[in-house]
Amino acid sequence: MDLLANLGLGLATATEPVNLLFCFAGVLLGTLIGVLPGIGPTATIAMLLPITFGFEPATSLIMLAGIYYGAQYGGSTTAILINLPGESSSAVTAIDGYQMARQGRAGPALATAALGSFFAGTVATVLIAVFAPPLTAVALKFGPAEYFSLLMLGLVASVALAHGSVLKALGMIVTGLLLGLVGSDVNTGAQRFTMGFPELADGLNFVAVAIGVFGIAEILRNLENETDRDVMVKKVTNLFPSKADFKAMAWPVVRGTAVGSILGILPGGGAILSSFAAYTVEKRISKTPHRFGKGAIEGVAAPEAANNAGAQTSFIPMLTLGIPANPVMALMIGAMIIQGVQPGPNVAIEKPELFWGVIVSMWIGNLMLVLLNLPLIGLWVRLLTIPYTVLFPAILTFCCIGVYTVNSNAFDLFTVSAFGLLGYVLVKLDCEPAPLLLGFVLGPMLEENLRRAMTISRGDPMVFFTRPLSAGLLIAAALVLVVVFLPAVRAKREEVFQEEG
Amino acid sequence: MRRTSVRTFVVAAFATAFVIGPAAAADYPARPITMVVPFSAGGPTDTVTRLVAEAMGKDLGQQIVVENVGGAGGTLGAGRVAKADPDGYTLLLHHIGMATSATLYRKLPYDTLNAFDYVGLVTDVPMTLVARADFEPTDLKSLIEYAKANKDKVTYANAGVGAASHLCGMLFMSKIETVLTTVPYKGTGPAMTDLLGGQVDMMCDQTTNTTNQIKGGKIKAYATTTKQRVASLPDVPTAEEAGLPGFEVGIWHGIYAPKGTSPEVLAKLTASLQTALKDPNVIKRFADLGTAPSSEAEATPDGLKAKLSSEIDRWAPVIKAAGVYAD
Amino acid sequence: MKVDTREIACGAIFIAIAAAFAIAALDLPMGSALRMGPGYFPMALALILAALGLIIVIKGLGRAPSPIGGVPWRGLLFILLAPLVFGLTVRGLGLAPSMALVAAIATLASARAGMKLAAAMTLGLTLFCVLVFSYGLGLPYALFGPWSAPFLPGV
Repeated sequence: MDLLANLGLGLATATEPVNLLFCFAGVLLGTLIGVLPGIGPTATIAMLLPITFGFEPATSLIMLAGIYYGAQYGGSTTAILINLPGESSSAVTAIDGYQMARQGRAGPALATAALGSFFAGTVATVLIAVFAPPLTAVALKFGPAEYFSLLMLGLVASVALAHGSVLKALGMIVTGLLLGLVGSDVNTGAQRFTMGFPELADGLNFVAVAIGVFGIAEILRNLENETDRDVMVKKVTNLFPSKADFKAMAWPVVRGTAVGSILGILPGGGAILSSFAAYTVEKRISKTPHRFGKGAIEGVAAPEAANNAGAQTSFIPMLTLGIPANPVMALMIGAMIIQGVQPGPNVAIEKPELFWGVIVSMWIGNLMLVLLNLPLIGLWVRLLTIPYTVLFPAILTFCCIGVYTVNSNAFDLFTVSAFGLLGYVLVKLDCEPAPLLLGFVLGPMLEENLRRAMTISRGDPMVFFTRPLSAGLLIAAALVLVVVFLPAVRAKREEVFQEEG
Repeated sequence: MRRTSVRTFVVAAFATAFVIGPAAAADYPARPITMVVPFSAGGPTDTVTRLVAEAMGKDLGQQIVVENVGGAGGTLGAGRVAKADPDGYTLLLHHIGMATSATLYRKLPYDTLNAFDYVGLVTDVPMTLVARADFEPTDLKSLIEYAKANKDKVTYANAGVGAASHLCGMLFMSKIETVLTTVPYKGTGPAMTDLLGGQVDMMCDQTTNTTNQIKGGKIKAYATTTKQRVASLPDVPTAEEAGLPGFEVGIWHGIYAPKGTSPEVLAKLTASLQTALKDPNVIKRFADLGTAPSSEAEATPDGLKAKLSSEIDRWAPVIKAAGVYAD
Repeated sequence: MKVDTREIACGAIFIAIAAAFAIAALDLPMGSALRMGPGYFPMALALILAALGLIIVIKGLGRAPSPIGGVPWRGLLFILLAPLVFGLTVRGLGLAPSMALVAAIATLASARAGMKLAAAMTLGLTLFCVLVFSYGLGLPYALFGPWSAPFLPGV
């Protein structure tokens, strides 16, 4: 069978000593830098890109891929330990992961993230190997109308992200959508809400907004009752998940993997949705949804699995079409071109050893990630016992540098302060930042695809209903809406939230 | 006594890290040079920059560090360099956008023609007019007929206001005197995805992005926007051969320095650029991108200056006629 | 009548954000539902946000007040100041002095931090960052910028 021969070829490439070495180096460097707060995978790869220029193409790509998942895992670590997501996908992990850390369960949270990611990575690697070409064909069926409908479904379902008032969560989502629209209008080039700052022409910087509303706000909240406690976590119970934890995380990991694998394939932002979607699914089907937002292990397991599966399957459009699904993939394509490899449909035919070598090394990289990180958990958890007066200035300094490296732009730092203030005020008023960030990411996508679909259909709104995929997604969105606002369900929901208050 | 030793220590410590004060042209470059790319890392311009920066750095004996200053169609990065010290340690690598933003932006923070000194042209990346694989017209002539007959049906994708694909489309439409429905995207990546998926009919993009798709049969090419055929796409006719003379667009790249850079430093940089453009690795990588290094005559301050001013004059009327501005 | 100030403030903030976007969107071409201009989508969102804010305010009118808790004014001032200072000085002073400033300001945000801790943190963090970011990762930023030049011993 072709597949086995291909995998064999890939295994031969991936297990060459030099490739193994640089795969490990990539994973290690990625983890170490990704763990620094404020520095996510994109910044890490951009910084480390020049190191790989001197290598063979396969070695270079294997190392970059290693840096990618290392940095992604490192980003989840900071999300869990100090509530600071380095990129949109780990914003969801922060919700329950940070609560677990505050309850002294940082160890199990980190282990869950590592094991969930590994499982998801394994499944996604197999998916890529077996289904890459047919999956690409499916992904291409997604036109603007389908994207719009998918985003509507995502928005309707995202109410589940709230673990307080639904109204406030909706308000935060809409605020996020509005903030996402700041910048040049794609259709006309008109400047919107930029207040005359050319720095805003490309929109607000995601990293700056995320650090503001999550990181700065959290530091301020911790400074409120500084006198009560010096150390973030007084007692760390156990480092590894208990039997009950394993039972609780198993299915969420499987479901998260499924959700992430599917959404990751969609070029143009599907992967961003995956962790949000996985969290939503878990909270919806949970018998005890009120635990979410208060340290539910499912709330860490599912989005982390989804996030990693999506990260992996987002290689599919990159490897088969040469199309970047996210900024990290854009960097990888740049690296390939510099290495003399033209990304596109011909890579698998012209350079099979590179194509399959990279795919196999994904799995090896994931394995290394687990082996590397399980022993490190003890070390990361100890970070939490550092006195807060020492910890937070370090966090803040790293954040400043991290934000600055994205665009070398002072304006982005002013954004951090402004959103830090806004985030703190909103947190004081009981509004959670995660829905705002989701809206921020989705806002431009939603509007662009709506207007694009209308342009292509020449102003015929029926396009959303006559295309079967789009219609199916909209029906699903309507169903979710009915379920959310059905009197019986609603009464139960209110009851759940009353308990909280 | 003690003060002196502390002072010596401090001097020694700092001296190892950097050198302060105006470096004499004779020992230029005495420290790493920063080359600003006004776009984010990973894009085609970033790739060109990194290739050239590495080769030039080797020649100059100092590393050239690439700094990505993205935003506002490249005008933020260009503005940054325009205001930088003209000491030869901050350079700019910009593409055709340097010329078009002079018209696309009605208020620029710098004067395009007078804020920079010129090092030289680097390369001119050709563009291709492409369509989805199952689009009816078979050649450029039938495409033009088809577009005129179905102007309400044909959709043209571009990568946003001011992008090369947008300029190319404006030029095409003005050449065939037909306005097609334009579908803007944020960058060529998503636009290409929708072209591959058959969601839009046609677009114009640089060979960097299209060559492999054309060779793989995923999209069809009608013409290249060059005077001569592109080496990597020998079967694709030029626009002139295919019956549309004057439909020429190239994404040319040039290296600039802030105004006031000393002539000696500029001469060193130009010489280094010329050497870099003869580097076999650079030539090979450029060929992979479907382009070739600029000639020795073009890779000079005069070559770049002439190109910039002629391109400003060429695009201003096209942009003004379309009435599209980016601010 | 019972009034929950927290809910009212929350609704009011949403309404204020909505109003700011709506007013700015007025300058943009609206278009129609079938041919949307750049102002259409933001205006629609602003109206939805204003409606949500209004409902939150109304719901807050009949509820018992909930405590907001104290505000760490000193922390607020210093923490928000640190990124601003970094942004304003990183190009002029250079990476190293700018990081030192941020580290010092950030440490002082804590009511429990003394001068001694601030000095130690500044030194330690700056050294760490210079090693990791400048030497380790080779970030393309000058360690010392033009503003620092007069304070440095000439070579």
